[in-house]
Amino acid sequence: MSHDLEQKLDALTEADYARGLEVFQGHLKEAEVSFLNACVRCGLCADSCHYHRAEADLENVPARKLDHITAVFKAHFTTMGRLAPGLVGARRMDRDMLRAWVDAVFGRCTLCGRCSLNCTIGIPMPSLFRAARRALGAMGLVPEDLQATVDNSLRHGNNMAIEREEWVETVEWIEEELQAETGDPQARIPLDKQGARCLFTVNPREAKFFPLSLQASAKVFWAAGEDWTMASDGGWDLTNYALFTCEDDQAAAIVKNLADAMTRLGCQVLVIGECGHGYQSARWMGPEWLKQSFPFPVLSILELMDGYLEAGRIQVDPSKNAQPVTLHDPCNLVRHGGISEPQRRVLRRTVTQLVEMAPHGAENFCCGGGGGQLAMGQYRNRRLGAGRMKADQIKASGARVVAAPCHNCIDQLSELNKEYQLKVQIKTVAELVAAALVPPASAEVQP
Amino acid sequence: MPNPWTLGVVAAAGWALAGLWLLRDRTRAYGERALHAPPAGEAGAGVRYAFTQAMRPGAKESVREHLPSYAAGLAYHGGIFTGLGLLISSLLGLELPRPLLGLIQALLGLGILGGASLLLKRLLQPELRGLSHPDDYLSNLLPTAFLVLALTGPVWAWRLSTILLLIYVPLGKIRHCLFFFVARRHLGAFFGRRGVFPQGELRVP
Repeated sequence: MSHDLEQKLDALTEADYARGLEVFQGHLKEAEVSFLNACVRCGLCADSCHYHRAEADLENVPARKLDHITAVFKAHFTTMGRLAPGLVGARRMDRDMLRAWVDAVFGRCTLCGRCSLNCTIGIPMPSLFRAARRALGAMGLVPEDLQATVDNSLRHGNNMAIEREEWVETVEWIEEELQAETGDPQARIPLDKQGARCLFTVNPREAKFFPLSLQASAKVFWAAGEDWTMASDGGWDLTNYALFTCEDDQAAAIVKNLADAMTRLGCQVLVIGECGHGYQSARWMGPEWLKQSFPFPVLSILELMDGYLEAGRIQVDPSKNAQPVTLHDPCNLVRHGGISEPQRRVLRRTVTQLVEMAPHGAENFCCGGGGGQLAMGQYRNRRLGAGRMKADQIKASGARVVAAPCHNCIDQLSELNKEYQLKVQIKTVAELVAAALVPPASAEVQP
Repeated sequence: MPNPWTLGVVAAAGWALAGLWLLRDRTRAYGERALHAPPAGEAGAGVRYAFTQAMRPGAKESVREHLPSYAAGLAYHGGIFTGLGLLISSLLGLELPRPLLGLIQALLGLGILGGASLLLKRLLQPELRGLSHPDDYLSNLLPTAFLVLALTGPVWAWRLSTILLLIYVPLGKIRHCLFFFVARRHLGAFFGRRGVFPQGELRVP
């Protein structure tokens, strides 16, 4: 365990422990307390976890990770835990237990939820790991690099601390590229267009490292004749790493950027670019964090592209994507987001051959990059090891292209590509759609 | 004058039910999470799926890959419910037809095999042993003893094992007899609301 963590543990006071326990208990609702009472430690969840598949270690068994949390709950909040701790496996929160918590919920879990579906009882374990992460946050024990990502969002409105000028210049440059690609000087990436139907949001990595991804989405909007815009300031970054630190107040502040941009620009639909955790954050968790329903629908761009194809608003030629393509299912988008079919319908129309991984859909294996793992450098080796399941799946599919509708997953898959010599191309779904687009006559595409 | 063993069993059953009720009450005191995001599917459909198709062996990889454990678990729980049925009929003084008794004996026997095999598995597999607390062994031994004595008697010993089992129900992990249903309902509602359950159905936004 890192020296930093030991120093932080050294510095904890009784008040910190009390605060952590208070926050932990405060996060629990009836459902979570029921889950904490339900585990029978049958151990059948073990191989549902990609960490355990990669390394058959007791500490990688989801029930073991859960047991660290249950032990503290029992010791502090149940009668039997106080009366007979040895019998029921109760343990008070102490330095060793905190070390075990950090290792279990940050170091060995991507919050992918695959164990939930495979639990004999049916315990959604990420909900409990989230409670533990939140308590650790209250004690200042969130890994610093993960917290730094959240702090960037809070300070700069995006997680990569991109200043407004840089963002606007990048968009203008991508717009020029789009115009060159389409041959249409009217092809735009509109910024701050008042009253546009769709407000499109992206992962800042698109601006920094994957401009072709943003260009591809813009090309699809252009071809569909969509009335869309992006925010030039707060409200263009869809990411929310507070989903992983589980500090709900910070998560609320970050997602509020999107809600405020919708209000400011008078848009009707909030469109989330290809990002798993961004979708879960905006679509499912955002209203809970802000404690109010959004007065607008939140759609994934995958749903939008599916709708364009279904309605004939865009035409595609699948022969442009002739290589076999497999689809990666981001956990936050599919298992926790419910978006499973739109991307499949899109790809079936857009590529010549779609090969499903086994298993896929809600039963997919996490790539290993979820839960904030990509922002926690100290667990890099473990993360790459845990990605072996996904690497094996990709190899077994025989595909030459992996469609990954999530930029966090793309980062992890890119590393797996090198680590496991996969020799595949990794693309967003929009990139495949954009490549297959049959250009519309310019007269038809102007809204 | 009722048999003291019978009284003991009834009192222990009262304790078990009261203990479970108290646990449920304490759990409810934590309150429900308010939900504001509009649903993409039906919570009710998710719950129905969670209690039916999601429990099929084919629906869960953890079961598909561990069919002997799944079968042992089914046999064990089937035996326990059979034993409880036999207990009730015995307390009520009902005379059961011979063929039914034969079936009950077979189910009890399978239950014993299931319970014993799961106990052995817990003892012998290092990973599962590392995961276990004394509660796990006691929570297996008590029902297994209850089944053995239901099958082999004597009656007083069966009644005693019943009392011990019922007393332990709310104290250890046998409380999952209640929380299994509560947890699974929450699981189904969560995934149903998000349009993930029922699986295998096409959902168009």
